[in-house]
Amino acid sequence: MITIDRLSKTKGKSRILDDVSFEARPGRVTGFLGPNGAGKTSTLRVLLGLDRPDAGTALVCGTRYRDLPRPLTRIGALLDGSGAHRARSARAHLRWVAASNGIPATRADEVLETVGLTADARKRAGRYSLGMSRRLGLAAALLGNPEVLVLDEPINGLDPSGIRWMRSFLRDSAAEGRTVLLSSHLMGELAETVDDVVVIDKGRIVTSGSLAEVTDGHRTLEDAFFALTAESGASW
Amino acid sequence: MVTAELRKLLALPTAWAGLAIGTLLAPLIVLINARYTHAALVDGTYGDVADLGLMDLGIGLIGPMVLGVVSISSEYTPTGEHSPGITQLHATLTAMPSRLRLLTAKLLALVLVVLAQAVVVATAVLTLNEILHGDFTPPLEPARIASALLYWVLLAVFSFAIALITRNGIVPLTVLIINSTFVSVSYLLTKVTDLAYYLPDIVGARMFIRGGAFAQPISPVAAGLTMTAWIALLLAIGAYLFHRRDA
Repeated sequence: MITIDRLSKTKGKSRILDDVSFEARPGRVTGFLGPNGAGKTSTLRVLLGLDRPDAGTALVCGTRYRDLPRPLTRIGALLDGSGAHRARSARAHLRWVAASNGIPATRADEVLETVGLTADARKRAGRYSLGMSRRLGLAAALLGNPEVLVLDEPINGLDPSGIRWMRSFLRDSAAEGRTVLLSSHLMGELAETVDDVVVIDKGRIVTSGSLAEVTDGHRTLEDAFFALTAESGASW
Repeated sequence: MVTAELRKLLALPTAWAGLAIGTLLAPLIVLINARYTHAALVDGTYGDVADLGLMDLGIGLIGPMVLGVVSISSEYTPTGEHSPGITQLHATLTAMPSRLRLLTAKLLALVLVVLAQAVVVATAVLTLNEILHGDFTPPLEPARIASALLYWVLLAVFSFAIALITRNGIVPLTVLIINSTFVSVSYLLTKVTDLAYYLPDIVGARMFIRGGAFAQPISPVAAGLTMTAWIALLLAIGAYLFHRRDA
């Protein structure tokens, strides 16, 4: 369960998050949608304790991320890039991440196999393609077999088979009872994957609800998204 | 967490460069200078032999400097051309979100590695001096040797604190290396004011060097306390900034 409650944050002179509130529930895939620069990544960074909000709270299973003991066993996060130092091999990266949370080192090889990187496990992360970096990032998110997954633009950089794999991975994760929150600006790719939708634009939540509720009166999720963000004056 | 930080530090090629250079440099210099040093000792032009051996532990400090800086700067290196704004720090903080505990683990890992390096260097240098110039070496003083080891560790922590404030590796490392090798700004400042003898890199060596190269009398304990105070101040500033800044 993820609970975002009245988050606000100002950077320089611009208000990048303005009273943002929503929930992501267990057993469901929640799509956090909005144009580039709308505040999706900023919200996720606050949720993961990377950035401080000016006001409001972001909780994972009722606890602030910073207060979670061994957080990777509760929540796995995929941000842009792999997070691995480019001089380090994928396996070396995953092994220190595992050690930091008391996760057995053998999990590194298991998650590398899950994301299809076993053959490249000894390659330096700096030599990975964009798609491979995303897979390595996902491998790190899965290390602790967490009950919550937070994925920022998870299909960016993936080829068609990778996108297909990611979709079924997300659906399977929710079917196993996990809370899945993913951000994206690609509506068409997500319509078949999400159960709930939260739309953000210019730092404010425009709408939230089940996929059926949000698309009600619109032909597709994409149409609904453009109609909702056009009302708030988004430009492309 | 300390295990994770040890794994991180020791899997970096730059850290191994710091370990190799820092460990090998002082014994190599002792060997290269052996003939000249011995001749000077025999004809009495060497000067005060009280620091023979210990003086050589002032060489190779590039090792702890590199290790201290890299421990932090590696967190801020972009992870790849595909995601220039993303660094290892994002992975580190999602794995270990308590920033002060993370810093403590990083410091402990650094201290362990640098202390091990300093012990190896001190053993090699003092043994070599005993073999090469055994008739002239002063009796071993455990307190002075311990002070030299402490100096190596403190210098690593000093470099760590500067990198923590600057969030960068190249600038602090360039300044530290130039200051300790080519042109010592701190030493030049001592020509202007006696207060410069209390700058961290100058005062630290006074913990174990007794020779007459220093005009200002500072006791080893006062030297150690002064360097520790400098480091405590820089670490406090660095930790405060690290705690407050967005990652």
